[in-house]
Amino acid sequence: MLQIKNLHASIQDEKQKTKCILRGINLQINPGEVHAIMGPNGSGKSTFANILAGREEYQVTEGSALLDNQDLFALEPEQRAAAGLFLAFQYPVEIPGVNNMYFLKAAVNSIRKQRQLPPLDAMDFLTLVKTKMKEVNMDEKFLSRAVNEGFSGGEKKRNEVLQMLMLEPRLAILDETDSGLDVDALQAVAKGVNSLRNPQRSFIVVTHYQRLLNYIIPDRVHVMVRGQIIKSGGKELALEIEEKGYGWLEKEAQA
Amino acid sequence: MSGITASQTNLEMCFTQNPHFPRKKWLNDFRLQQFKQFLHAGFPARKDELWKYTEIKENLIPEKMGILCEPLYSEKFSAATAISNIVFVFINGHFAEKLSNTQALPPQVTLCMISQALETHEDKIKPYLLREFDVKRFPFAKLNAGMMTNGMFLEIPKNITVTTPIHLLFINTKQHEFMTNPRNIIIAGQHSNVTIIEDHFAENAQHYFTNAVTDIHAAENARVNYYKIQDDHLSATHIANVLVEQKQDSCVKTVFLSKGARLEREDLSIWQQERGAETDMHGLYVLRHDQQHVDHHVHVDHLAANGTSSMLYKGILEKKSHAVFNGKVYVHPATKQINAHQANHNLLLSTEAEVNSKPELEIYAEDVKCTHGATIGQLDNESLFYLLSRGIEKNEAHKILTRAFAEEIYNKIEDTVIRQYMQKRMSDHD
Repeated sequence: MLQIKNLHASIQDEKQKTKCILRGINLQINPGEVHAIMGPNGSGKSTFANILAGREEYQVTEGSALLDNQDLFALEPEQRAAAGLFLAFQYPVEIPGVNNMYFLKAAVNSIRKQRQLPPLDAMDFLTLVKTKMKEVNMDEKFLSRAVNEGFSGGEKKRNEVLQMLMLEPRLAILDETDSGLDVDALQAVAKGVNSLRNPQRSFIVVTHYQRLLNYIIPDRVHVMVRGQIIKSGGKELALEIEEKGYGWLEKEAQA
Repeated sequence: MSGITASQTNLEMCFTQNPHFPRKKWLNDFRLQQFKQFLHAGFPARKDELWKYTEIKENLIPEKMGILCEPLYSEKFSAATAISNIVFVFINGHFAEKLSNTQALPPQVTLCMISQALETHEDKIKPYLLREFDVKRFPFAKLNAGMMTNGMFLEIPKNITVTTPIHLLFINTKQHEFMTNPRNIIIAGQHSNVTIIEDHFAENAQHYFTNAVTDIHAAENARVNYYKIQDDHLSATHIANVLVEQKQDSCVKTVFLSKGARLEREDLSIWQQERGAETDMHGLYVLRHDQQHVDHHVHVDHLAANGTSSMLYKGILEKKSHAVFNGKVYVHPATKQINAHQANHNLLLSTEAEVNSKPELEIYAEDVKCTHGATIGQLDNESLFYLLSRGIEKNEAHKILTRAFAEEIYNKIEDTVIRQYMQKRMSDHD
């Protein structure tokens, strides 16, 4: 489903100096798989997630990414979404003045339009969104609020998962969706993700801690350090990291 | 200014077309005197700080006044006359009785044309009409005093609440290159409550020149909501002074929406004359066309203690349009406990659009709390990426964020029917 080859990317810092962040990522994700990407702060995990979604600040300098054999980097962010890619933001943006329900409906119908499907009417949409909100334990009052405005950290993350449930992506990327969550919110997020798991759909779960992986069991775990994947393994790798930290892996990689 | 210019000749020609009020020598004399004072002072020059960014070229003055005619019964016209049961219509500056309707008005309230009030309420209206405007600060109000032909006179006695909004409609139609000088006088008595909509638009009229003055007097504890929409033809010139005097504990809320005209200059001036007054001023200018120029000057004089004022103006500019915002809060000596805020935010959707924003505070008293700020920028990239990443197409995402930016101002219009009407008018492309 997703094939990433030798991906290099950089960003211009405030002094217009080019800073290399990703230095040759190779990753193959098959339909139905959940891959976790772990790593210390500043290792490039979030950059990786954002580059796949199409954030403009980063430049891809080398390598390729194919989603269902389409060149991701040739698509605009909205086209990537229509192709089935979804990024759950680490820091969801507050957008005052834009009603949450209006936003969700615009997103759902825009993707349907790009896929040449008829738009959902108001009634069908409302029924659908209410069902999905129950799955993430979100109060219906959040529909009439502005997008993420004044939401708590946990409410913002639930709102991300709600969007994911509504858009039903082919590939969902969760960028540190677990950060700052209490156990209840963590479970709600995991429940949302697990309800979407099926043989056609894949996930990339970017996280610092193995805690989330107790609820969302990954098929593969990758460790990213300084813009490279230095070790890959099964779910037991996450437990090992929880116990020993990242230091031993960095040494092992240098050896 | 020296010598006689073509525009002076035009002004003189307009002036002679003014109606003569029989048996009102005091008014005819006063008008002539004011008119001469304006001519003597001349048009404001750009070296004058108040006119730094806006030049009213003398050749904009047409050589004739507007004349009354049947309006075009367009969709816009029907929508406008449908929002309230109290509607007072002026066509090309003249009162159109047939189109007006004041039946829903409480019987204690006086609502009539100024020319009519001169007959029935002469003593009452006289001091308002004889108001002397400082020609330096209010040159066009001075001109209006000299040129004014007609307008609305509204008096709400004390303790009366007018529940139906009063819709004042200025339609410019079926005529080109003409001048109007409407003068409106609104007197809100103690503990009275009223909502007024001043609405300007065009149907098949071009290159006309509006020079309006609206005088608002809010007595003790009066509550006045004043909403104005300027939707003139893109070739028109719209100059207006809205002058507000507030007594103790009165509350005045204004919303100014600007969409049309090639050139608009809007002066909102507030005098909080007694303690405890409250003023809320909001504005939104949406300029979609090349060469459009809108200038909002908002001035608040805090002359008494315990006053509050808040000012929020927002602008959305496209193409080669130009906006000017100048907000001034003046806290006079011997006042105290003043709370004043002002802000101006602008969204530039093109690289050729231009904004000159100047929020000013002058404080000569202690124990006051004042803030001010201004921003000029583009759509927020983070918000834009968020919408795009959810599959929303670029055009639509821009529209959503632009609308969200404006929403804050529309939400200040409490009445849903009026809000929806004005929002639709502002978003209609024509």
